[in-house]
Amino acid sequence: MAGTGHAQLRDHDDVLLRVKDLVVQFPAGRRRVVHAVSEVSFDVAEGETLGIVGESGCGKSTVARAIIRLVDITGGEVLYEGRDLAGLEGEDLRRVRPRLQMIFQDPISSLNPRRRVRDVIAEGLAVWGDDIGSWSRDRIDELMDAVGVEARYGARRPHEFSGGQCQRIGIARALALDPKVLICDEPVSALDVSIQAQILNLLQDMKRRYGLTVLFISHDLSVVKNVSDRIVVMYLGKVCEIGSTIEIYSRPAHPYTRALLASIPEPAPTVDIEEGDIGDELPSATAPPSGCRFHTRCPRATDICREVEPVSEQIGDADHYVACHHPVEVEISAR
Amino acid sequence: MSAEDLVTGEGQATGRPRTPVEGKASRERLLWRFRIVRLVRPGRVPDDSPAGDESAVRRRLGFSFWLAVVWLLIMAFVAAFAPLLPVADPTKVAFGGPREPPSLDAWFGTDALGRDVFSRTLHGARISLAVGGFAIVFGMVVGGGLGILGGYFRGRLDQAVGFVFFVLLSFPALVLAILITATLERSMLVVSLTIGILAVAPVGLLARASTLVFAEREFVSAARVLGAKPGRIIVRELLPNVVIPMGALTLLGMAVAVVAEGSLAFLGLSVAGEDAISWGKMIVDGAGLRDLQNATHVTMFPVAVMFVTVLSLNFAGDRIRQYFDVKELAF
Amino acid sequence: MMAEQDATGAPLLSVRDLHVRFPTERGTVNAVNGVSFDLHEGKTLAIVGESGSGKSVTAKTLMNLLPRTAQVSGEVTYDGQDVQALAEAGTKHFFGVQMTMVFQDPMTSLNPVKKVGEQIAETLRYHLGRSRIEALEEAEELLDVVGMPEPARRLKQYPHELSGGLRQRVVIAMALACQPRLLIADEPTTAVDVTVQKHLLDLLDRLRRDRGMSMILITHDLGVAHGRADDVAVMYAGRLVEVADARTLFFDMRHPYTEALLRSIPRIDDPVHHRLDPIPGRPPELINPPDACAFAPRCIYAQGDCLGGVPELSGLVGLHRFACLHPTGTERGMAAMAANRAAGVTAAGLPVAGGHGGSG
Repeated sequence: MAGTGHAQLRDHDDVLLRVKDLVVQFPAGRRRVVHAVSEVSFDVAEGETLGIVGESGCGKSTVARAIIRLVDITGGEVLYEGRDLAGLEGEDLRRVRPRLQMIFQDPISSLNPRRRVRDVIAEGLAVWGDDIGSWSRDRIDELMDAVGVEARYGARRPHEFSGGQCQRIGIARALALDPKVLICDEPVSALDVSIQAQILNLLQDMKRRYGLTVLFISHDLSVVKNVSDRIVVMYLGKVCEIGSTIEIYSRPAHPYTRALLASIPEPAPTVDIEEGDIGDELPSATAPPSGCRFHTRCPRATDICREVEPVSEQIGDADHYVACHHPVEVEISAR
Repeated sequence: MSAEDLVTGEGQATGRPRTPVEGKASRERLLWRFRIVRLVRPGRVPDDSPAGDESAVRRRLGFSFWLAVVWLLIMAFVAAFAPLLPVADPTKVAFGGPREPPSLDAWFGTDALGRDVFSRTLHGARISLAVGGFAIVFGMVVGGGLGILGGYFRGRLDQAVGFVFFVLLSFPALVLAILITATLERSMLVVSLTIGILAVAPVGLLARASTLVFAEREFVSAARVLGAKPGRIIVRELLPNVVIPMGALTLLGMAVAVVAEGSLAFLGLSVAGEDAISWGKMIVDGAGLRDLQNATHVTMFPVAVMFVTVLSLNFAGDRIRQYFDVKELAF
Repeated sequence: MMAEQDATGAPLLSVRDLHVRFPTERGTVNAVNGVSFDLHEGKTLAIVGESGSGKSVTAKTLMNLLPRTAQVSGEVTYDGQDVQALAEAGTKHFFGVQMTMVFQDPMTSLNPVKKVGEQIAETLRYHLGRSRIEALEEAEELLDVVGMPEPARRLKQYPHELSGGLRQRVVIAMALACQPRLLIADEPTTAVDVTVQKHLLDLLDRLRRDRGMSMILITHDLGVAHGRADDVAVMYAGRLVEVADARTLFFDMRHPYTEALLRSIPRIDDPVHHRLDPIPGRPPELINPPDACAFAPRCIYAQGDCLGGVPELSGLVGLHRFACLHPTGTERGMAAMAANRAAGVTAAGLPVAGGHGGSG
């Protein structure tokens, strides 16, 4: 697949964030551009956790960074509570920033080595004019307690903490401004196996405690399944498949989703292990393949896949949308 | 700490000799490895250990560092209080006979005009250190400021800053110095500024380079996401990180500036006036062939003091750089 | 196959009581403490552990790749020869020929300014004395063997022109060039995507079988170890804590760390929003470790005797071995767990919830 379309967009009142036809391109020299994200559409309802999954180069992190305006948006809309973040600049943009916060992949790189962790956590409050008065001091203590970092270590600098502790500090910093949306960009992939579960549980707890809406980006299908209500599968800057977590994992329809599920070391029972045998080579994002971007590696590709880009369509009447000319589910039901 | 980090040496599977790796990413990786191998991590906070147990593992600067610092402090004191010290008037001609060797009256002997070399050396510290210090501070503020701005904002501003730096670097330093000092009145300010301008580009390039590195780090992104304005990001997030490598450079730069003043003095372009004494000028005074042959002390004492001072600056600067280098990368 | 008959005979690689220490300014880091294992011809041993567990140090010790400051003791025997002696004698055609290694980052082993064909050929010329033409022909064959598409064209490419997965294939081809009998793969797939990971692991599997090679697979990913290894060794804080054949280790483990690790990772067949069972605390420091079980502070089975000395790895090399006084799935373990639940806290002071999910 890897296609366009809006069938997956919902009409509810409680949609908090809607990304429509988002395009992000980076200059790559000699007049070429990297098509990092191409016409991606999805939405996130209030209180929901949306997982975005895909391999490196699929644009999942770029989507996150575009929503939060860390990279420039080339085209499309990012509607947050009805306002288009894509068009905001300067002070207007700065004013909405506290609403959407982010947790980064590398817990160590995301903390300033020269600042004390208490100041790191208090930075948001300091930016917005709370001069670390008694009110916000309580707030910092509460946050440190909530994320499991002892307040008495507040005067230490990040290098005195382990990776897991640093990630907790990063979470506290993001929560200080009471955001509505928390974007987690591979928040556990830099951590040791035995620490990952601690952080994943913490994120779930924080979500409940602070009423967050979460965008969770990861390459790890098991982790994404654990945390997400709904999932977007991306490939080379395009959306392949969107649906409720249960739908995606129990009835994966897109050949790429199936390949992913078949490739993990302990493959999902819903797919055959041979479905993981797709080619090694990710096509260049500066010259993406025509038609469906996945056709170069897809075992089901036909002529139409090379020429016509698939548009997302609903499968049955479930919360399940796929952009593919030959989705797997359809064939099975036809048989 | 992870033991694996200690052995990220360049292993390779095939027994071939390894050639230096090129490309930015690889270079950084190698650099990173090299640093990790030799660094010592300050203790992390174990979940159950009492706070404050890591002070015991602080790195030491070493005895020789403190020796250098003591010398520099003495020099600074002398420079500040030279007129108040109980030494002879450095400008008094015929304090003793001309070119007298060191004695109890004149510890460093006298020069061609019979002036006390010891007193003149102490007074010379004033201009030499002041010029050196002022020049490098100017270089830091102007070069460092431009470098950080260019490195953070990139784009046009960065191009303009880079252009200025390259022009400064390409222009023959000596010609620039001669141009300025020859056309303007050779006051201490002008001489300091001349050397300071020469310091702008090297300091600025360093500041720009380390800003580029830190601006890529996620904590800068995190600050933007929190809504911090560029000024705040530069001051709170970047400056503390960039200032450390620059700070260590201050002493090294000052050493260069002290030597530069000496070089200008050789061209007769240091601070003008009989009562403006500097080490450079003293060395020139004693640099006649006859003096060098018969009265070596006239040049050797200021040379020795200047040498030890420059050595101390270099040594202390280098130790500080190493010290902070380790601390900074001690994740 | 030869591998089968050898499995009962002398092992290809035998490691006994291996210790590796690194002196640092903060004290001595005890990276590897008394590791012993055997590897038989044609078998795969997975060494699993988190960062700092000593798994990579162990591998680098075998390959003689440690920095000079490392203090190594113990005995490593390869095919009856003392590896340390071979290293000291400066034997040219042993490391990289008999025994070879693939790293996590392929660029560690590749020269970025040389074409990949030249690099593979260089290995062949250096170790096997091939001529340039022969070596290049062989290099092409090797690339074909490792499943490189269009091997002839790839020979003339530079490493940066290849994707991460293809680079790793080049490295594997280089490692295979001299027909090694033992391949050590240190996190070979950590830097690549999951679809590529599957291909690389399949490739290593196939090569091992086709060539009767033995393999040591170092990984932090239990899933990778599962299904790819005959035997699995779990390392924690520089020690082997449990060694068993893969099936036993994953389904009838004895060490609480193995059990806790398996329970803490999310799995694809877990239900959505399944509450994970994390391991509390974090791995211990390797400087001045206390004379106690290193896992005791994080272990829900910990009893007083766990804090009184480091438990020895039980049993004989080759059998199911574990270093635990109150092993999970045994009566002692269940009694320890029950006692801790009743007390609400372990002997090491870790709080234990009364209704904590059942034992394994």
